[in-house]
Amino acid sequence: MVKVLSYAAHAARLALGFIFLAAGVLKSLDVAEFAHQTAGYGLIGPGLAALAAPLLIGLEGTLAVALIVGWRPRAAAVAIGGLLVLFIALEAWGMAQGRTESCGCFGAYVQRTPAQVILEDTVFLALAVLAWAGLGPWAARRRRLAAGCMAGAAIFSLGFALASPHLPIDTLVTRLRVGRTAEELEIARYLPDRGQGRALVALLDLTSPDAKAASEALNVLHETPGAPAVIALTPSTEQEEAAFMWESYPAFEIHPVDRATLKRLYRRLPLYFLVSNGRVARIFRLARPTAADLLSSEAS
Amino acid sequence: MNKPTPRRSDCGHRDGPARLPAYVIIPALLAALLLAAPADASDMVCRANYDFCVEVDGKYPPDATFFTADVRGKFLVDIPSNGSGLLIDLPARKAVALTSDLIARDQAPGIMKVKNPIPAGAASYALSIEGPVLRFQTDTSKVRVLKVLDRPPVVGPITLDALFSDRAEYREAARLYNPEKTAIDSIRQSKKTLEVEAFFATWCQHCKIYMPRFLRVMKDASNPNIKLTLIGVPKNFGLEKGPWEGKGIQSIPVITVRYQGKDVTRLGTHETAIPEAELAGIISALR
Repeated sequence: MVKVLSYAAHAARLALGFIFLAAGVLKSLDVAEFAHQTAGYGLIGPGLAALAAPLLIGLEGTLAVALIVGWRPRAAAVAIGGLLVLFIALEAWGMAQGRTESCGCFGAYVQRTPAQVILEDTVFLALAVLAWAGLGPWAARRRRLAAGCMAGAAIFSLGFALASPHLPIDTLVTRLRVGRTAEELEIARYLPDRGQGRALVALLDLTSPDAKAASEALNVLHETPGAPAVIALTPSTEQEEAAFMWESYPAFEIHPVDRATLKRLYRRLPLYFLVSNGRVARIFRLARPTAADLLSSEAS
Repeated sequence: MNKPTPRRSDCGHRDGPARLPAYVIIPALLAALLLAAPADASDMVCRANYDFCVEVDGKYPPDATFFTADVRGKFLVDIPSNGSGLLIDLPARKAVALTSDLIARDQAPGIMKVKNPIPAGAASYALSIEGPVLRFQTDTSKVRVLKVLDRPPVVGPITLDALFSDRAEYREAARLYNPEKTAIDSIRQSKKTLEVEAFFATWCQHCKIYMPRFLRVMKDASNPNIKLTLIGVPKNFGLEKGPWEGKGIQSIPVITVRYQGKDVTRLGTHETAIPEAELAGIISALR
């Protein structure tokens, strides 16, 4: 019986370790979104959330590796169990407040309801309890190596979380690619003629300080003879869109789009892409397109 | 690589207009002048924007409509029941009272034309912007323009006609939806007795997209064997008491289908759902 419990505890330890490692990596792909989701609970402000997000990712990665390599595994299981209790409490509080958004526990690209998250975290908590109860005094034989792995994991996971926004991995983690159809990207209904003509799509965060400057530049493009129609899609709320409209009165249409839908297209905003005959023809990730870019796109 | 811009002589025209005789040029110029002369050449064309609503003295007149003009930064607030139209000039931060001779209703629905420029001396009122709300005070009324989602919500049961009358964004989006005719015919001809209960929220962006399509389907089918109950849900519905309690509602809209006294299914209410096809499919699957 003790042996069975020990095997089960090791299985739970490894499962939990790899689950938390996966969660850390997925969140690292879009740290800004994880910070946004954390701030969405209303308990901490956006500034503190932006600071806390990479730290939490680093902590999760470190604890995950500690469980996997067996460096103080019972303590790691207790720490992970504590985090899970915190997550469950947060999610239950959010549900009571009528919150329906996903928690972002597995990054921006995995969507679940709060009820699903609570169920999932309860299962993980059971794994943590099993690991704590069944491992006994077990620890890795090569303690120094295990400690080194854990320290390396701490440095790597925190470093990756901080560096991730600047890494050129957008095409790996978002659905926006040249050749994709507007239907596939679920944006066709916002485009003139459902995207059958040519349109420059601007993905804008209307609360960002540079949104007004972007809007002014897009107004110029919108009014340039021969340039494609300009539309903006935003994950900002309807209220933020209204406030932006009264202050900036853009010449082009802005559509607030469900954040979960739009989030599949970007990691950082602003982002611009040209849709031609229903397909993405060109993506402008680094700089806002100029009229010359758009007119030359037409020629090519 | 950019292609070289063709020179004029590359276009294939042998000669320019300068070689045309005077008896062709003069009438052509006169015709061009006459075409440019009509007063409506400078009219602003305003299109109804049902994402916004107009509040007048704390109430929402059903005919009050907000329009976006084709001139950047200009908008029209039309309140026929008050006999007033107001041109909002955002760059000038003012609302200008329009007399009836300055506004013309177009034949196309949701389009109005406003004479431009507005004669000097028209009464004008200072605008103030408070986040998503635009407000001003005329000689007689306090006017606010706000997002329809920010209006006080419909809470509790409401009939389809009352909802359409009260909420222009639902009515107009339903009008623009073209449901699949064969599915509508199939729903209309069904002899099965169904109870359809729809929980929705007028503050919910997703409901604003999906519900008008569903309501258009129910209106077009108008099958007396299908009883529709519409229930508006408040914000924080998880904490409020009402008919939405105990229904397992986690997100909205939720549309339940009851047959022979039992809940048989819920409609998929995602943005790309086709309500008529789904409802027709459910009806045909019922035994």
